[in-house]
Amino acid sequence: MALLEVRDLVVGYDQYPVLHGVSFDVEQGECCVLLGLNGAGKTTTVTTVAGMLQPQSGSITFDGKELRKGSPSQRVAGGISLSPEGRRLFPRLTVSQNLKLGAWSRRRDSKTLKRQMDLVRDYFPRLAERENQLAGTLSGGEQQMLAVGRAMMSRPKLLLIDEASLGLSPTVARTVWEVTSRIKADGTTVLMVEQNAGALPFADRALIMEKGTLVYTGVGDELRTVNLREAYLGSGA
Amino acid sequence: MSQELVVALVNGLFRGSVYALVALGIVLVYRATGVFNFAQTEFGTTGLFAAFVAVEMWHWDYALGLLFGISVAIVMGLVTERVVIRPLRHSSKVTLLVGTAGVATTAIGIQFWLTNEQPIREMPPIVEGSIATVLGVAITYQKVITVLVLIVVALALAAFFRSPSGLAIQAAQQEATAAELVGISVRRVSLMTWGIAAALGGLAGILSGPNDTFTAAFLTFGGGAALLPGLMAAVLAGMRSMPGALAGGLLVGIVEQLGALSALADLPGPKATILFVFLLVVLLLRPEGLFARKVVGA
Repeated sequence: MALLEVRDLVVGYDQYPVLHGVSFDVEQGECCVLLGLNGAGKTTTVTTVAGMLQPQSGSITFDGKELRKGSPSQRVAGGISLSPEGRRLFPRLTVSQNLKLGAWSRRRDSKTLKRQMDLVRDYFPRLAERENQLAGTLSGGEQQMLAVGRAMMSRPKLLLIDEASLGLSPTVARTVWEVTSRIKADGTTVLMVEQNAGALPFADRALIMEKGTLVYTGVGDELRTVNLREAYLGSGA
Repeated sequence: MSQELVVALVNGLFRGSVYALVALGIVLVYRATGVFNFAQTEFGTTGLFAAFVAVEMWHWDYALGLLFGISVAIVMGLVTERVVIRPLRHSSKVTLLVGTAGVATTAIGIQFWLTNEQPIREMPPIVEGSIATVLGVAITYQKVITVLVLIVVALALAAFFRSPSGLAIQAAQQEATAAELVGISVRRVSLMTWGIAAALGGLAGILSGPNDTFTAAFLTFGGGAALLPGLMAAVLAGMRSMPGALAGGLLVGIVEQLGALSALADLPGPKATILFVFLLVVLLLRPEGLFARKVVGA
């Protein structure tokens, strides 16, 4: 059974549907990338999985249990953590305070807190050097590292990363993706949302969305042989 | 040092401590909701009335009466959050602002209604008498206690904001969506914020009340008016800095009292005029406030 099973998901803002019945699986231990253009419904998909939006219909099953109506705090306690689009750090708190707050759902478990803190320091040595710096004063790349690090602090089974590469130089984006690969290798399942096809080499599988539906699912080497431009941007592109 | 100067400094410190307590509450709520809370000082007057009723009418022990007064203020803050702020959380800031003004006028109306037969009341001080006399000026225990309470509150708040719950409040204020995502209950944090702000207002009312007689709306625009000076202190703090609110409160208190010694004292409403001119000059020179650090990030 897959770790995450999304079936016929319909989500909308007010009466305007954004997702028109999306279905996909994310297997335990894999790293998937959800690709698509602006407005394709990628962010809506992951924020719904993270509990910030309620689906109009369809189901989400995580770790064998169907997720009914629930808040983000229930989802994070259950093992789903989202590094949101735009990073959304706590700008006037320090790097280390941001990280501690990432473990809010496990704040009474000091062992886990310490272990995750060490892990995040190991993934992102730059953050370790800047522990007492205010998050708002970090560079864009460091802020993205902190956003991913904060999401890792709750020791998730499934890490959702929304648009990690947005606004980053290719080199810095690559650094973040490399850490994503390490996170996966260390046993956390990852679902990345990207507009940037540069993330493909770091993923086991790609899901491509267009106008609120899933149009393509590719595995391994297929990713490199398929005419991505056609699949990704539609045949008219 | 002249006697007048001693009086001005002692009263300035005392009034400044009251303003600082009010300003701390204003800044706390402003950071959470983005609005100026008109009801901040009415938490204080209501707490003062409650303490008065407990001590003078029910003849409770003074300490218990104070505790009761602060509890009533806290309950008023929690009810305000639950009944007015939470339902209006998606409304415009102006609507929220009017909502807090509504809470203040409702509280004032109820106070007038309940005290109609005897509008002027007097609350005994915590400890009668003076601790010392400097150049013929008596420094009452009440004033010293007020300043000490401010110091204790400041230390307690500083420690609190470094604790996990305090960090959660700051996180929710700075980035509510991310706070939800890490599992912080933004609703609970909002309640906590209003509870603390109301407790600070309650302390301001209960500590400044026994200095004089008091009436309905005492701390808003009555004898102990602290709403405008508290707001000025908060503005000096850039509406965001807690240490700034504390320093701003003390500064406003001292400027107000010292200003009253100057030639300006002959103007009608000297204290308000002096404060207004002072605030205007400060804001012209430093629009972000005296004690505010530059706002960092988004």
